[in-house]
Amino acid sequence: MRVTLGYLVLPLALTAAAGVAQANSDVEKNIANPKNWAMQAGDMYNQRYSKLSQVNAANVNKLQVAWTFSTGVLRGHEGSPLVIGDMMYLHSPFPNKVFAIDLNTNMIKWKYTPKQDPAVIPQMCCDTVNRGLAYAEGKLFLQQADSTLVAFDAKSGKILWSVTNGDPSVGAVNTNAPHVFKDKVITGISGGEWGVRGYVAAYNINTGDLVWKGFSTGPDDEMLIDPSTTTTWMDGKVQPVGADSSLNTWKDDLWKIGGGTTWGWYSYDKALNLMYYGTGNPSTWNPAQRPGDNKWSMSIWARDVDTGKVKWVYQMTPFDEWDFDGINEMILADIPVKGKMTKALVHFDRNGFGYTLDRTNGALLVAQKYDPSVNWATHVDMKTGRPQVVSKYSTAQNGPDVNTKGVCPAALGTKDQQPAAFSPKTKLFYVPTNHVCMDYEPFAVEYTAGQPYVGATLSMYPPPGDKHMGNFIAWDAGTGKIVWSKQEKFSVWSGALATAGDVIFYGTLEGYLKAVDNKGKELWKFKTPSGIIGNVFTYEHKGKQYVGVFSGIGGWAGIGMAAGLEKDTDGLGAVGGYKELNQYTELGGSLTVFALGN
Amino acid sequence: MRTAISRSRILAVVFAAFTALQAGADEPAGGTGLYTVVEGYKVDPATMKGFRAWRAGACDRCHGANQEGLVGPSLIASLKVLTKEEFVKTVTEGRLEKGMVSFKTSKIVMDNVDNLYAYLKGRSDGAITRAKVEELKP
Repeated sequence: MRVTLGYLVLPLALTAAAGVAQANSDVEKNIANPKNWAMQAGDMYNQRYSKLSQVNAANVNKLQVAWTFSTGVLRGHEGSPLVIGDMMYLHSPFPNKVFAIDLNTNMIKWKYTPKQDPAVIPQMCCDTVNRGLAYAEGKLFLQQADSTLVAFDAKSGKILWSVTNGDPSVGAVNTNAPHVFKDKVITGISGGEWGVRGYVAAYNINTGDLVWKGFSTGPDDEMLIDPSTTTTWMDGKVQPVGADSSLNTWKDDLWKIGGGTTWGWYSYDKALNLMYYGTGNPSTWNPAQRPGDNKWSMSIWARDVDTGKVKWVYQMTPFDEWDFDGINEMILADIPVKGKMTKALVHFDRNGFGYTLDRTNGALLVAQKYDPSVNWATHVDMKTGRPQVVSKYSTAQNGPDVNTKGVCPAALGTKDQQPAAFSPKTKLFYVPTNHVCMDYEPFAVEYTAGQPYVGATLSMYPPPGDKHMGNFIAWDAGTGKIVWSKQEKFSVWSGALATAGDVIFYGTLEGYLKAVDNKGKELWKFKTPSGIIGNVFTYEHKGKQYVGVFSGIGGWAGIGMAAGLEKDTDGLGAVGGYKELNQYTELGGSLTVFALGN
Repeated sequence: MRTAISRSRILAVVFAAFTALQAGADEPAGGTGLYTVVEGYKVDPATMKGFRAWRAGACDRCHGANQEGLVGPSLIASLKVLTKEEFVKTVTEGRLEKGMVSFKTSKIVMDNVDNLYAYLKGRSDGAITRAKVEELKP
């Protein structure tokens, strides 16, 4: 028995394609003005780059706190506020408060606190985070934890429409930011640890009507895959995926509870009319229960924004055995790749490989380790596109109830959702990374709707011989090489910001906002009230450039920070690491905004 | 449901005591006869089921791989204060506002709630010296 939702939405998708929509001109206008921070990544390419240069490498050491704001919420603060004109829009973790602040007065113009069933709190894997708002045409969009997608009138805070995007009773909740591309607000779903079947869904920004919905697994029509025109990388070339490309890779009907959730940052190329995103881990974490490649979990997707139809798809980690979700952001950049100018898509995967693909057709161009400690695979075979797994680190080959030790990276990935930045000036990517390894012991689990469906016990610690658990790196995506690497004591779990002022910003788990130059030299730092897992953003108001970031420790880093504490089963000396984080920080959400002193 | 739980509870205690005698435990059985443990990690079959329920419920994601607490509280500390009844109620109903799951619909957790209590009590008492236990061989 196959779920039939895909059949229902397909005709809608075709209808939408007929009416050509050009409604993203407002967003385009807003992001073209560097005084705004109008999207979570600053732009539709996910570049996290600002053309502002008032704050630059020569004066950044004179940055001072301009103003601060408490969200009144504990727990992990991911994402960042948006700035459009004189207004700033802030979000918080559960209960997902929204604040509209007038930058002329620093006063709250309106605020909103959703009423949500507390039953969703325990269902949120890895803390009750929310990654922020979207803005278009005077409307503000909030993706609540309980899966309700809400559109507000940005001026008044009046609710214009709201829709239910998932079923929280089975663990389908939301942490991702919604993204507006054209006349659609696009959102995903979380719940890979609850056996949720992933999808992305596009809603009309004016009405909230569902335009299309594409699943990550299952029958072709429900994924909006056309077996003859949707392509993937096989045998060294781009080829049609063929019929039943997902169904063929699952035992029985396990794809129905097979994960492939979609909680990352999406990007959009207007010229190609394609949106890009990644899918997460297959459920459960016990690989023995789900033989096969488990397509299309752990994959990069390119979908037509109007119809949802899949142009191409590429699976990074077939048959995941380590929880290496593929949801990390897809950064679009036009860069030389092996000497040839390329419309590239660059992706730093949890699995430790930095991928460069041709975003027009999904051709695999570069796949190299962006942390030398990565050991679970020797390399990615460029012909098949498959990582070459090292048996010793294969939790499937070692089997259930066996503790596979010393796998690098840990399930946190060499990078998790914390987004990287790209500077068109230097043509380099600036990547916040985790430098953490793990022991992973899978075990058999049974699926019960609405109950955890994990099936592995993990412990995490720094790579043997190392004391630091993070690096902030510069990466050349054209060659797949680390240009420089700056050690951090803890995982760098904060989104980076590159600027035309030749300064790159990122936050640390201890709570420092740091500025480095294009060579990675630290120029300035400031200790904010709590650990930083938010993304750095910048804007200009009344002629002055501001740099801001949420602090508020939490997220998987905040939870995971104590994992491995007092490990009593081995002698790897892992006790240091995250344990010390308690000496630096405590919970508490606030925004700190900086500017140059007068 | 209630009957089934109390029956397995009785069996657990009886069996634990029996196993302890049989195995000629080289350390005194810890706690109040809830569980039997040898060398800190070899436990009676019922307590082993409690450990399996702990894993199946993915309790480690919030309470830590060693029960010492992460985003959720340390169960080493909590089990020193919670009564058995409070423990069962918390597992069954959850504490939603604080992020504690209601395991009411989880068969493995509910069928083994007494065994889970025995396992965690053993950890809290310090008698079970590591989180990962093995079944005591007769």
